[in-house]
Amino acid sequence: MRRLRKTLCLAMALLLPGSLLTSCGGGESDAGKVRIEFFQNKPEAKASFDKLIAKFNAENPGIEVTQVNPPDAETVLLTRVVKNDEPDIVGMGATDTFSVLSQSGIFEDLTNQPLLEGVNPVYVKQLTDVSGMREITGVPYATNANGIMYNKQIFRELNLQVPKTWDELIATAKAVKEAGIIPFYFTYKDDWQTNLPFNALGPNLVGNDFFQARRSGETTFKENFREVAEKMLALLDYGHNDNFGKTYADGNRAFARGEAAMYIQGTWAIPELRKTNPNLELGFFPFPTGNNADQVHLVSGVDTLLTITKSSEHKEEAAQFIEFLLKPENIGQYIEEQTAFSAVEGVEQKDPAVAELQPYFEQGRFVDFADHFIPQAVQLNSIVQSFLQNGNIDDFLGTLDREWDKVANRRQTH
Amino acid sequence: MRSRRINWTVTILVALGTLFILFPLYMAITISLKNQEDMLGSVFGLPTHWRFENYAEAIKMTNFFQALGNSAFVTIATAVLTLLTNSLVSYAIARNMDRKFFKGLYFYFISAMFIPFPIIMLPIVKLTSGLGMTNLVGLTILHTVYGLAFNVFVYVGYIRSIPTALEEAAKVDGASTWGTFWRIIFPLMMPINATVGILICLSTYNDFLLPLIIISDQDKYTLPLVQYIFQGQFNTEFNLAFASYLLAMLPMILVYVFAQKWIINGVTQGAVK
Amino acid sequence: MTRRNSVFYWMTIPAVLLFFLFHTFPALQGVYYSFTNWNGYGHSYDFIGLKNYFYLFQDGNVWNSYWFTFKFSIVTMILINVISLLIALGLNARIKSRNFFRAVYFLPNILSVLIVGYIFNYLFSNVFPIWGANLGSETLAGNILGSGKLAWIGVTLVAVWQGIAFNTILYLSGLQTIPTDIYEASNLDGASRWQEFWRITFPMIAPFFTINMVLAMKNSLMVFDLIVALTNGGPGRATQSISHLIYTGGFQGGEFAYQSANSVIYFIVIALISIVQIRFLQRRETEMS
Repeated sequence: MRRLRKTLCLAMALLLPGSLLTSCGGGESDAGKVRIEFFQNKPEAKASFDKLIAKFNAENPGIEVTQVNPPDAETVLLTRVVKNDEPDIVGMGATDTFSVLSQSGIFEDLTNQPLLEGVNPVYVKQLTDVSGMREITGVPYATNANGIMYNKQIFRELNLQVPKTWDELIATAKAVKEAGIIPFYFTYKDDWQTNLPFNALGPNLVGNDFFQARRSGETTFKENFREVAEKMLALLDYGHNDNFGKTYADGNRAFARGEAAMYIQGTWAIPELRKTNPNLELGFFPFPTGNNADQVHLVSGVDTLLTITKSSEHKEEAAQFIEFLLKPENIGQYIEEQTAFSAVEGVEQKDPAVAELQPYFEQGRFVDFADHFIPQAVQLNSIVQSFLQNGNIDDFLGTLDREWDKVANRRQTH
Repeated sequence: MRSRRINWTVTILVALGTLFILFPLYMAITISLKNQEDMLGSVFGLPTHWRFENYAEAIKMTNFFQALGNSAFVTIATAVLTLLTNSLVSYAIARNMDRKFFKGLYFYFISAMFIPFPIIMLPIVKLTSGLGMTNLVGLTILHTVYGLAFNVFVYVGYIRSIPTALEEAAKVDGASTWGTFWRIIFPLMMPINATVGILICLSTYNDFLLPLIIISDQDKYTLPLVQYIFQGQFNTEFNLAFASYLLAMLPMILVYVFAQKWIINGVTQGAVK
Repeated sequence: MTRRNSVFYWMTIPAVLLFFLFHTFPALQGVYYSFTNWNGYGHSYDFIGLKNYFYLFQDGNVWNSYWFTFKFSIVTMILINVISLLIALGLNARIKSRNFFRAVYFLPNILSVLIVGYIFNYLFSNVFPIWGANLGSETLAGNILGSGKLAWIGVTLVAVWQGIAFNTILYLSGLQTIPTDIYEASNLDGASRWQEFWRITFPMIAPFFTINMVLAMKNSLMVFDLIVALTNGGPGRATQSISHLIYTGGFQGGEFAYQSANSVIYFIVIALISIVQIRFLQRRETEMS
């Protein structure tokens, strides 16, 4: 009996400090390797990064990079920041979360770092526009485009041209519908999918300068976003019979199998589509938001930027890994697999599926996503999702203004 | 007199009812064995080729055995720690309910049953990371501590039904309080220990929220967390996803198949006591 | 006697300390943060008094999550109890292979809520619509989890599917405590089955009824895993539970303190409900002793 009691006390005594030690020992593994944790938010890109990481680890025996890629990655990342347990490298979009974390001093200042040398300055500016800071806190890596995918085979069979204006888009959708085919495969069960049209319509019809003005309280959504809302609703007539019941994954499967003529989506979905159907004849055009074809801008933003956290104990090795990723052959491989576009100058995307977008990049005719400028706490996605269900424009715009002010109020009290 | 004959109408109704329970599991099993072509075919049908490779792939993809090891560690460690510590605390409380301190303690503990977890969720994340407890040991301690409220409630009720005569006899023989507990009371508590053990195993093994906020190292993820993490990667491959789900549930189902009577009785005891 | 005393104290002290550290202390911290504007990771924060609470009461999203959680909990609680009582009556009748059926009905209780949610999520989008279409209903031919009006029913159905397991077993064990001679007596009186249930069965299992209500209510007020697996709070915020709002809001840009205030309110609400429930429990205990 004595023994049992002793063991118990010992166990209790050992458990607490034991747990204290285990996490302090992190950073270096048994083999004396420097361990770098690379956290990134794109499930589609996991396999591509895994390949590059394997190559890097083989080339650098002293360093071991591991990838972490959870769903709802931004929430998970913020949870880890709350824990003071930041990964070494973060790969994420140039979103509001990036802005908030930059402003809270979580990321290293990379201004004047050699890492930024080959990077297209337009994308660096997109980053600082979003973060609202003078310091550059991330390296733009890959960019994406948001537009409309179409099934070339269906277009050919129905004798359709790629629409260049809003009216043409609706006429095309009508023609497809009359032929008994689904014009747009909407995947609105996932709330982030509902704001893809918003992201295309907003910057073209209103412009992203709006958000600066909204921040200083000079204007409102109510005054500016009515047309955006109306057009989003108008598209719903050309969906399938369960627009709100299908997820992004469902949509990829269905569109790849040729169940719909068009798919409002980002370039990020292309690898997923090809996984289901490698022979899909795919085209991609910018969202024709208005009736002047010359004024349509492609929506393109930084899909993945790479940052080093201030708390990282291995900043040098982290920079080494980023430098490796930025090498033309590596970023070339990445954008080829991901059908993304390179932020490094001179590396081009040659995939025929996105060939129609190339002129827009060359002429600099692109704008950033609207939601990169909207605070995450506003929960734009779920607001848009409920709007598309109830169709109440006044309520939608009112909610946007109200939520924006609410979040601004809470942030101002700092 | 009530008839002793079997009531077939009710038997058939009860049997039909089980279809509702079994249908989702039937779907999960058939889907997990289909190949991509079968997935496009009949939704309800059996697979044309039983594709057991899905399981092999799911095991490889999710690093199943590592997650299983983590879940097993947390579950077993929590159960052992809970049985040893919670019973002891409850014994002290149950035998001293006439004292203010212990009575107060009793209500202090059980009142926690009614404190919603979200109120401590945000601070606990900061606290555990500050103490370096964002790992499996930390998770074990938290599970043990959070189980205390309910377990004290169950244990105290049970211990008070054990007559004190035995303990008094032992005391006369010169046994210490510790000795009395381990030698006399703890063995008498076996039925309720089984109940507490089963309940804590079930809740720890299946818990999702606590590991979600506590564990950051991917090598330390428990089985439910792994299913969550792989949602994005399964994407359109539902057959792999379902194979992975079933694998995650399999250990508990196996235990259940063999110890079903025991588990059900144990669970009932806990609520009735 | 004093030695004995100290031993009993020592038995409880470690548990008290750990419990205080990991439960009471964080709860107090939560209350403390609710008076600040901390975002959870910034370097500084200020005291802002009751401002968070002030904003909370004006926040439609908060009201919305309470509305959903209570609507869900009450309906779930009622359905679970009615259905599981029926099943328990069936299992308690003279049926064949009772133990086998009992085991099947209890099975969902041992499964992970999250995984059950994922399985049903698939069924809702790929299987149930086929049945809905066969029934000729346009609404049911779609994924009801995608509908702002019906999604909560979908969530409720899954919660009921899983929740009946536990309550059925409890009712069954309650029914088995009723001595058969009581029924024999009532048979002589010529009472109908219906009267028999209300006059004898139900009063005898009333304590089980109370505890089942309490358990079902408590579980559903905390609903989180199921929401994550089925709808992630959507569409819009149609199925956002309180826990889900606190988790997503609390860890997303700047709402740590604000959601702490939300959880304090949530605590008060639960405490009020609990007081009522504890009354029931106490009455039950006096009945039993």
